[in-house]
Amino acid sequence: MRIRPVEIIALLARVAVGSVLLYAGFLKALSPAAEFAAVLEAYKLFPSSLLTPLSIGLPYVEMWVGLFMLTGFCTRVAALAATILSCAFLTTVGSALLRGIDLAHCGCFGPQSLTPRHTMVLDVALLLFSMIVFRVAKLPPLLSLDRSIP
Amino acid sequence: MNFRRFIAGTILLALPLIAVRLVKQTTWGPILAAPPARQTGDPKAKVVIVEYSDFQCPSCAIVDPTAHKLLEVYKGKIRLIYKYYPLTKIHKNAMASAHAAECAAGQDQFWPYHDRLFQTQRAWADLQDPTTSFMAIAQEVKLDTAKFQTCYVDPAPIARIEADAQEAQAREVTATPTFFVGDERLVGQVFVTDGARTIEKELRQ
Repeated sequence: MRIRPVEIIALLARVAVGSVLLYAGFLKALSPAAEFAAVLEAYKLFPSSLLTPLSIGLPYVEMWVGLFMLTGFCTRVAALAATILSCAFLTTVGSALLRGIDLAHCGCFGPQSLTPRHTMVLDVALLLFSMIVFRVAKLPPLLSLDRSIP
Repeated sequence: MNFRRFIAGTILLALPLIAVRLVKQTTWGPILAAPPARQTGDPKAKVVIVEYSDFQCPSCAIVDPTAHKLLEVYKGKIRLIYKYYPLTKIHKNAMASAHAAECAAGQDQFWPYHDRLFQTQRAWADLQDPTTSFMAIAQEVKLDTAKFQTCYVDPAPIARIEADAQEAQAREVTATPTFFVGDERLVGQVFVTDGARTIEKELRQ
């Protein structure tokens, strides 16, 4: 079967988004949840009752979405989830920048984090890549579980 | 959904949980002894609170009155140990202020000096050279200023500050203030809202 260039682009986008989400979620999950909760608190966007559940749950959501993207399992659903996550990250970091909140780091990769501006660039890239995957993955994508376990 | 897909999905969902459980550090490094000058409250208290803090950090200044209030409310039940964690990458006078406080600790006046550093934080935080402000506080809390000056130019206290900072890093502290109330970690201004509840919980254990 002939492979279309767009499928290769979607495969690369899938690997990129999957790897970043998996890595980011894993580093956050390894750090104490209280540390991530403090980072979330600094955004002054979430009610205090949400900080602990978010700091515990979000790293796992990122890892699951990342893993599903990487392995190409339920690819369209995973791509949609990655798009929503990227939008949420962009909104959170962007609103902090607009409100002039002085964040030392974004908290995206646990203790080893990017500056908020670099995070914005990364989130825009993630958003675009996720949308590409969502658009192309109408059929089971290349090198994916969706293709090998239909 | 066919059975093979169900199994694949279950494995993918379980993998992160297993990986984190296998790798995550659940015990923290030891807390090194701190000199008595940097401890306050009852030495025999049931609950020991360790604070990793930076004198130039605004959140640390905000939580300071809460720490005082809790020491008053739980008199005889808690002990507070102060550990230096100057965030030198973002706070240019963090190390100098910790150095000054350690010199005050050498004269057994750490806590009054600590309080004044936080109360006057805005005045010295952005100074190119905060020495004059630190000297003024030394006079205010009645330190031997000659001794203080000698100590302030001596690099020896910096080694003790760095030892505290290394201990903080080993315990995965990334932000200030971080409090350990017993085993429970409270980061940032959460101490203001959750400090009392956590102390109560530790007292009940």
